[in-house]
Amino acid sequence: MIEDKIGLEILSNRFQAIVDEMAQALFRTAHTVFIKETQDYGAVLVSPGGEVFAASRRYGVLMMVGMPMDDAVKAMGDDVREGDIFMTNDPEATGGMCTHLNDIFLWKPIFHDGKLICYAWTFVHMSDVGGRVPGSIAPSSHEIYQEGIRVPPQKLFHQGRLDETFLKMFLVNTRTADQNWGDMKACIAGLSTAERRVKELLGRFGPEKISQGIVDVMDYAETQARRVISTVPDGVYRFSDFIEADMVGQGLLRVNLKLTIGGGEMHMDFTGTAPQVRAALNLPSFSKDGHWMLITGVVNWLCTREPGIAYNAGLVRPMKVHIPRGTIINPEAGAAYGGRYSTSHKVCDVIIGALSQAVPDQLPATDSGQGSILLVSVPDMATGETRVSVVQPLVGGSGGRPVDDGVDGTMVILNFLKNVPTELLEHEMPNLLIRRYSLRDDSGGAGRYRGGTGSIVEFETNVPFTTITARNMERYLFPPAGRKGGTPGTTGYTLLNPDGDDPRDIGKIDILEMDAGDVLRLGTQGGGGYGDPLERPAATVWEDVLDEYVSLDTAREKYGVVGTLKDGLDRAATEALRGKMRAARDGAPLKEFDFGPARDAYHARWPAALHDAVSEITQDMPRVQRQTSYRALYAEIDRRLDAGETVSAADVPGLLAALRSPGRRGASARR
Amino acid sequence: MSQKSMRYRLGVDIGGTFTDVLLMEEDSGRLVALKVPSNRQNPEDAIIAGLDQLDARHGIAASEIAYFSHGTTLGVNTLLERDGAEVGLLTTRGFRDILELRRLRLPKANDLFFPRPRALAPRRRVAEVDERLAQDGEVVVPIRRDDVLAAARHLVAQGASNIAICFLHSYRFPAHEQQAKTWILEEFPDLYVIASSDLWPQQREYERCLVSVINGYIGARMRTYFDTLEDKTKRAGLATRIFSTKSNGGVMSVEAAGERPVETLLSGPASGVIGAAFIGRMIGDERLITLDMGGTSVDIAVVDGEIPYSTENTIGDFPVLLPAVDVSAIGAGGGSVAWLDAEGVLKVGPRSAGARPGPACYGRGGTEPTVTDAYAVLGIMAPGGLLGGEMKLDIDKARAALATLGERLGKTPEETADAILQVATANIYAELVPQLARRGVDAGDFSLLAYGAAGPTHVFMLARELNMRRVLVPPTPGLLCALGCLVADLRADFVRSLWQDARDLADETLAGCYATLEGEARDWLDKQQVDVTETYLIRSADICYVGQSFELNVVFPDEPLSVEALQRWFHDRYELVYGFADRSNPIRILEARVQIVGVTRKPNFDDLRPFATAGDKPASSRPIYEQGRAVTGAVLQRAALRPGDRFRGPAVVEQYDTTVYVPEGFEVTVDDWFNLVGERLK
Repeated sequence: MIEDKIGLEILSNRFQAIVDEMAQALFRTAHTVFIKETQDYGAVLVSPGGEVFAASRRYGVLMMVGMPMDDAVKAMGDDVREGDIFMTNDPEATGGMCTHLNDIFLWKPIFHDGKLICYAWTFVHMSDVGGRVPGSIAPSSHEIYQEGIRVPPQKLFHQGRLDETFLKMFLVNTRTADQNWGDMKACIAGLSTAERRVKELLGRFGPEKISQGIVDVMDYAETQARRVISTVPDGVYRFSDFIEADMVGQGLLRVNLKLTIGGGEMHMDFTGTAPQVRAALNLPSFSKDGHWMLITGVVNWLCTREPGIAYNAGLVRPMKVHIPRGTIINPEAGAAYGGRYSTSHKVCDVIIGALSQAVPDQLPATDSGQGSILLVSVPDMATGETRVSVVQPLVGGSGGRPVDDGVDGTMVILNFLKNVPTELLEHEMPNLLIRRYSLRDDSGGAGRYRGGTGSIVEFETNVPFTTITARNMERYLFPPAGRKGGTPGTTGYTLLNPDGDDPRDIGKIDILEMDAGDVLRLGTQGGGGYGDPLERPAATVWEDVLDEYVSLDTAREKYGVVGTLKDGLDRAATEALRGKMRAARDGAPLKEFDFGPARDAYHARWPAALHDAVSEITQDMPRVQRQTSYRALYAEIDRRLDAGETVSAADVPGLLAALRSPGRRGASARR
Repeated sequence: MSQKSMRYRLGVDIGGTFTDVLLMEEDSGRLVALKVPSNRQNPEDAIIAGLDQLDARHGIAASEIAYFSHGTTLGVNTLLERDGAEVGLLTTRGFRDILELRRLRLPKANDLFFPRPRALAPRRRVAEVDERLAQDGEVVVPIRRDDVLAAARHLVAQGASNIAICFLHSYRFPAHEQQAKTWILEEFPDLYVIASSDLWPQQREYERCLVSVINGYIGARMRTYFDTLEDKTKRAGLATRIFSTKSNGGVMSVEAAGERPVETLLSGPASGVIGAAFIGRMIGDERLITLDMGGTSVDIAVVDGEIPYSTENTIGDFPVLLPAVDVSAIGAGGGSVAWLDAEGVLKVGPRSAGARPGPACYGRGGTEPTVTDAYAVLGIMAPGGLLGGEMKLDIDKARAALATLGERLGKTPEETADAILQVATANIYAELVPQLARRGVDAGDFSLLAYGAAGPTHVFMLARELNMRRVLVPPTPGLLCALGCLVADLRADFVRSLWQDARDLADETLAGCYATLEGEARDWLDKQQVDVTETYLIRSADICYVGQSFELNVVFPDEPLSVEALQRWFHDRYELVYGFADRSNPIRILEARVQIVGVTRKPNFDDLRPFATAGDKPASSRPIYEQGRAVTGAVLQRAALRPGDRFRGPAVVEQYDTTVYVPEGFEVTVDDWFNLVGERLK
């Protein structure tokens, strides 16, 4: 119970000022593109127990409230002294505080008269930490050792003295040593600022009030979160979706959630989620309650419900998580993690899908689900050097919302990415000509509230060996779902030479080499629609037609709105057509979720029970066996289904037994 | 009318609630301050009302005014209320959605219901033209007359009342834009057509395009307003030209402002900073954090000798590329409403009672307790109210509003009021400190200069939390923006995007670029047709290290310009800002900038005297509640204070436009220019 409800608000504000100032001090002194353009850094204050009690809501990565610092704190034990600064990027030694090696964390203890009061804590995404590819992250990496140098928690500064041997050893293992050290110095500047301010605060209010305040602000946030969660009807809500890992030969990876709401808490049970993979898609959450890369959707929901909610780890205390060990979102040691963002976003979609069944008027339809950065490297024909640049972030539209259309061309989640001015890009990359950068007409799902449209980037190169890479490309097979009668959005596409004789949709990209004269057109996903399209006012649909967000055909077929550009909206014909479309429904209820024909067909082949049966039978196997058995079962079941056989959950044990019959040694000799 | 009898300068700042009128007698420096209710429909009417009052109350005729400069919120309101003209936009083929895609980033995090942004020109009023220049100016697709005209006709048919043209790479190669403009004007001679390369030739197509679109969006209304203003003031007897303030803190003729209204968008906050800097220069204290606190917001700026500029300003959700005085707005003010959340925690804001219904004590129907009600109940604000009694305070209503809140907190109205002020101070502190950090400033090295209706009331409470050495309250803090209008210089900015690595840049290219900019600047000043006491140019460049994305604006010292010198200046500046510089690292010059300043005649500092109103009340005292206890506070009349006067808190100073609150622990001296200078007692 919080005693001082005035002091609480004052201290809460003062803590907020410190993290915002720390973030600004870091941002001002850092220099890399990642920090400036994608805001991939963070600054927080952490309790002695390892909980984030103040986090910036304005600067840097905005999901840090659920970052678990407890294991990192424990790793340093009692050897914590004034002037120390600690460093790590190791997901495994920090129990999921770090989630890939590019994120380097630095933190500093703050003392008062020899007593530890709290920690100032920062991280930056480094452009490169070594490993098999420049930038350290490749979707096809399959073990952490390929992804760069790993630093278990250790001291960078011992009581103010820099460990130069260690620093040199770290930097020499990275491709961008100077920039990395520059960004580390920026972190150190942020930490020093925070330490000075916390000490001022200790002088002003005294250590007892501050320590109590740290406890109180988190209890306060927890109380608020529990109150908001208590407004949700108690119940069990299920949802699943698929990570498209076909590009790295891993097929579709199921994320399965059973969400139980009751007593002001949310229990998220991810049993039935696919095993970890031999690709860089694993998310090391360690099944930590409220883990930041799992709960983005819920935190956004809380903040939307209650904009003034206290922003700290108290918010995520009511979010309990159960994830079987060995799944893609709780992998065993040694997995590759670089591209875990796709997985994180999919988890976010799944939680929103489950929660929205409980509170359908509080959450959007599914968004584009893609947070990809399209990179291009072009040989400089004169010098032979390679120039690398971001072409554009490839993000699509937001889902329709119960209060408004989806945002076109970007998502309300992951909304901090900035695009690159074409004039700047062409200046940096004179061999490229951007032919088009626009919205993608007619790509948002239909609904009372339309899904946001995707976007299109099209460019041409005039030199050979122009190499394109992207990661985190998602939703090229199954579109973003429509909600409550809304129709699905659209899948992404990648067309090589779209206006040539042989245009090909090459889908998701790992690495693509373009030749001189090649043109590449990339279309991102439109978000799902929300609500019954026939309930969207005809005049609003017509506005969308005039502005070409929606085509005449879509207006007629999905919205029942008729007109011509010459004569305008035909109200009578619209009324008639809408009446006919309503009648044709024959009283059938609107679809709660509309996943589109491709995924519906997949569901028909692969009902949830069949997925569950495969997961269950492989769950307790050792890692390699689980991965191979899981994939083999999927392949075998697909083969049988293709051959017209029926396979049910009950058949799975038998199939596994057949697969397990030992192969004979020397098989290669007989080939 | 002889020149001799024109002996006054008039500065007017039109705000949302009040129009501030500040008159200065040129010889004596004597000031006359008036606040007149603003008129939203016809903003110029408040100016006429001000002129009438000057005549009626002070016997000063409009014909005696030799210089008149004013600022208006008409442009910014038109933009924010989305009430502007129907702009049509022509773009390069493939880039129709330049306004839709923006820079992608949404301004607010963690909000699933963030409203879908709406472009100033809807898609139906954007047309693509088959034309394309490469980044080096090579013609990839030639422009054709029939194609341009077909597009223009389409836009006009869609209802466009003016047309903005933004083609790729026009910032450096404007030929296609200019050609298109010429062709369109041949067919539509009366159409307002603007090319993005004319208005602000800087690289970054979205932001450059937006400058032109906003200009068209607010232009017609602004020109009508300026015409009406000239007409009405002429009839009222005003015989001098009219100037408009600019976002860069300068002024320009209203004719120029009608052509480039986009330059006036941020002029309101800019004028306040100009006024504050003027005071700072006058007293020789040029390291200032300025704090303008009104009913709904607090505007802060850092003046460190120079007026601070930013090219990363935003209005609503629109970035504005033009250099503007660097002011940050904080959502807290005298009207901020105090409330308890579901957990019983005391919150102040972000909602404001605004001007209507306003704080409970204003007696306009407001019942919710606000920060102003807290001032009233604690005895900080004069019961007689402001504006010479025109705005009365109903302390009983304030007390009633606070009592309701206090009951739920288990506190008396006074305790509740005290808590509200503490929370409000913490709110402002939490917003202000990161803004100072962004500028790399430590508050302890600066003085805090307060203005606006509530600034002087709250400033000492904030200074205490910020550990600031000194507080300044100028003579007419409620009208400092109007003072800024009155003392502002003619000022205009010019830009060219170079975007070249220093190693590829020839001295002649660099010199040529600045010669062009300087020519444009001098032409501009000539066109203003004003006698200035001095003219100077500020040349600067935005420069970064190759491969990094942070740029620094480097102002050139008074030395010969060369590429070599430019590199040296950059490294020196970089080292000053970041503490180190890598002198072997190649650099890239992004933007070349020139600002021209035509210095207008200034009043003599030594003669500047606030106007002493008649009927000054004597000093008295009243109870003030301070940090949980009742104390006796001295009540002083600002108009009666004279240089050398000295007093200690707790005290309040009552004046026409605000109330100054000095808590215990501060001592205030009145300096030679009638500023209140507060310092902490040791």
